[in-house]
Amino acid sequence: MSERAATAGSGLAAGPASTGALRWWAITLATIVVIAILPLVVTDKYWQSTFIVCAIHVLLALGLDLMLGFAGQLNLGQSAFFGIGAYVSTLLITRLGIPYWVAFLIGTLGAGLAGVLLSVFGVRLRGHYLAIASMGFAVITYQILLNWISVTQGPLGIYAIKPPPPLALPGIGLIDFAKPANMFYLVSGFTFAAYLFLVALVRSPIGEALTAVREDEVSAASLGINCAAWKVFAFGVGAAYAGAAGCFYASFVGTLVPDAFNMSESFTILAMVVVGGMGTLIGPVWGAIVLTILPELLRSIGDLRLVLYGLALTLVVMLMPGGLVQLARGFMRLITGRGRV
Amino acid sequence: MIIVQQVLNGIVLGSLYVLVALGLTLIYGVLVQINFAHADIVTVGAFVAYFVVQSLGANYLVAILAALLAGGLLGWLVNAAIFQPLRVTRSELLPLIATIGVSVMMQNGMLAWLGPVPFAFDTPYSNDVVRFGRIYITWQNLIIIVVSTVSIGLLYAFMRFTFMGKALRAVAQDRDTAGLMGINQAQVIMLTFVIASAFAGMAGAMLGPILVLTPFAGASVIVKAFAIVIIGGFGNIEGTIIAGLLVGLIESFTTQYLDPGWIDLVVFGLLLATLAFRPTGLIAERTEENV
Repeated sequence: MSERAATAGSGLAAGPASTGALRWWAITLATIVVIAILPLVVTDKYWQSTFIVCAIHVLLALGLDLMLGFAGQLNLGQSAFFGIGAYVSTLLITRLGIPYWVAFLIGTLGAGLAGVLLSVFGVRLRGHYLAIASMGFAVITYQILLNWISVTQGPLGIYAIKPPPPLALPGIGLIDFAKPANMFYLVSGFTFAAYLFLVALVRSPIGEALTAVREDEVSAASLGINCAAWKVFAFGVGAAYAGAAGCFYASFVGTLVPDAFNMSESFTILAMVVVGGMGTLIGPVWGAIVLTILPELLRSIGDLRLVLYGLALTLVVMLMPGGLVQLARGFMRLITGRGRV
Repeated sequence: MIIVQQVLNGIVLGSLYVLVALGLTLIYGVLVQINFAHADIVTVGAFVAYFVVQSLGANYLVAILAALLAGGLLGWLVNAAIFQPLRVTRSELLPLIATIGVSVMMQNGMLAWLGPVPFAFDTPYSNDVVRFGRIYITWQNLIIIVVSTVSIGLLYAFMRFTFMGKALRAVAQDRDTAGLMGINQAQVIMLTFVIASAFAGMAGAMLGPILVLTPFAGASVIVKAFAIVIIGGFGNIEGTIIAGLLVGLIESFTTQYLDPGWIDLVVFGLLLATLAFRPTGLIAERTEENV
C-alpha cells in the first residue's frame, strides 16, 4: 500500500503548488485543444460516438478511483449508481416533464445520496464487507430496474429519450446536442471539469485526510480524522460522478435497458481504474480511454472483449499494481536516465 | 402439504448454497480474503458433470466426483497463481480485484466457447420419484441432500478430529501464532483452497440440473453465497450452514408465494439489514475481528 501512496504523491507533484506550474497549465491547455479539435479531425460519426462513450467511462472511472484509490473502499456497485442517474433523470423528464438540466442535477445528487446511504451501512466494516454490500446493492438495483415494470418498463426498456435541449450561445447560435460532435464537447467538457475538481480536491487537506484513512485508519483517527465521515464523503462524491455519467448516457444513447447497468459493468469500470493506475487521477482517465478504444480497434475479437478486460485486470494486479501510470513512469525514467523520480 | 414440499425444496437448494458458501467462509477463515472466482469453479463443476454424463455416458455419481476433482484442481491453481504471490503485499483488496479479473476471464471465456444458450442437463435421477407418505421427492433431490449432508459431516469431522483440521482452525484463529507453533501456513492455506473449491465443483455438479446452465450459472449462485456468508458471519461455519438453509427456504417460499423476481431483493434486503444491525452475522462468534 505504501508504494501506492508514493505513486499517488508523485502524481500530484506536477501541480501549481510545485515548480511544475507552467507544465500544469501547458497540459491543461493541451487537453482543451485536443478536446476541441478531436471531432473536427475525426468526422466519422461512429468514432465520435465512441469518444463520447470514452468520456462517460472516464467520469465513471474517476468516481470509482476516488472511492478505491483514495479512500481505499472497493465499490462493486458503480453500475448501480450509473443506472440510478440514468433512470432517475430520464423518468423525471419523460414522466414529469421536468427540464433536462434540473433532472440532470436530481439524477446526479440522487446517485450521490444512494452512495452516502450505502456507505453509512458499510463504513463501520472492513473493506470486504463494503465490497459485498455494494455488490448486493448493484444486484438489488438491477432487479428493481428489471421488475418494477410499471415505472421502468423492465426489460422492454425506455426508448426515444431526447438528447439534452439545444443551447443558445450568443455569437455562435444554437448548439444542437443531437449532433455527436456537440454532445462530445458537452460530455468531455463536463468530464474535464470533473477531473479538475478532483485534482483540486485530492490536493486540498481533504485529499490528505482521505489518503491517511486509506493508509492507516488507526493513525488517521489518532490525528483527529473522522475516518467514517471521509469514507462516506468519498462514496457520495464518487457515486454522484457515476450518476452524472448515467444522465449523459441516457440522453446520448436514447435507449435505457436494465442490462446496461448489470454487475459486469461495475467490473468493466474497475478494470479501467486498476489498469490505468488506482490512486492517481490521470491513471483512470487513460485506463478508461485505452479500455474503450482498444476493443473497438480489435472488434473482430467479439465475445473475447471481456476476456481481455479480465486478463488485463489480473495481469496488472499481479505484475504492475501501479497500472499504466507505473509503466509510463518507468519508461520516462528510462529515457531521462534519472535514477528515481 | 404444499408447505412441506416447499420446505423440502428449500432444504435441497439451501444445502447446495451451503456447499458453495462454506468454501468462501473457509478461505476467509484462514486467509481473510475473498476468492471471487469461486463462482466460476461452481460453473466449471456444472459443465464438467454435464459433459461427463452427456458425452462420456458415465453415471451421474461419477460426474459429481469428476466435478469435485476439477474444482479442487482449480482451487489449487487459483491459490498458486493469485493468492500465494500476492500474500507478500498484505493487501486486503488486491487479491480480491485479481480474482474478479480471473472470474471475468473464465466467465467470458466459457461464453465464447460454449455460447449463451442454456444446456439442458437431465440426469437419470431427475424424473424418478420416491414417496414418503404423502411427500414426494425426486431421486435427484435425495442425492443432493445425502451428498451435501455427508460432505458437510465429513468436513466437520475433519476439522474437529484430524491434525490438519486442527491446524486449519489454528491458522484461522491466529495465523502468526499458528506459524510459531510450527504449523506450515502455506500448506494449510493450500489445503483449504483445495477443499473449498472441491466443494464448489461438487455443488456445481448438483446445481447444474437445477439452474439455467450457462457460463453465468455460478455467478447467480455466488451472489447468494456472499449474502449467506455475511448473514452467517464471515468465517463462521455453523452460521454459514444455518444462513444457507435459511436462504434456500426464503428462495423456495418467495418463488411459491411472491414472484421469482423478488428472490434477490429479499435475500439482499436481509443482507443489508444484517450489515446494518448485526454486522457480525446472525450468530456472532468472534465479535472483535471483522468490525
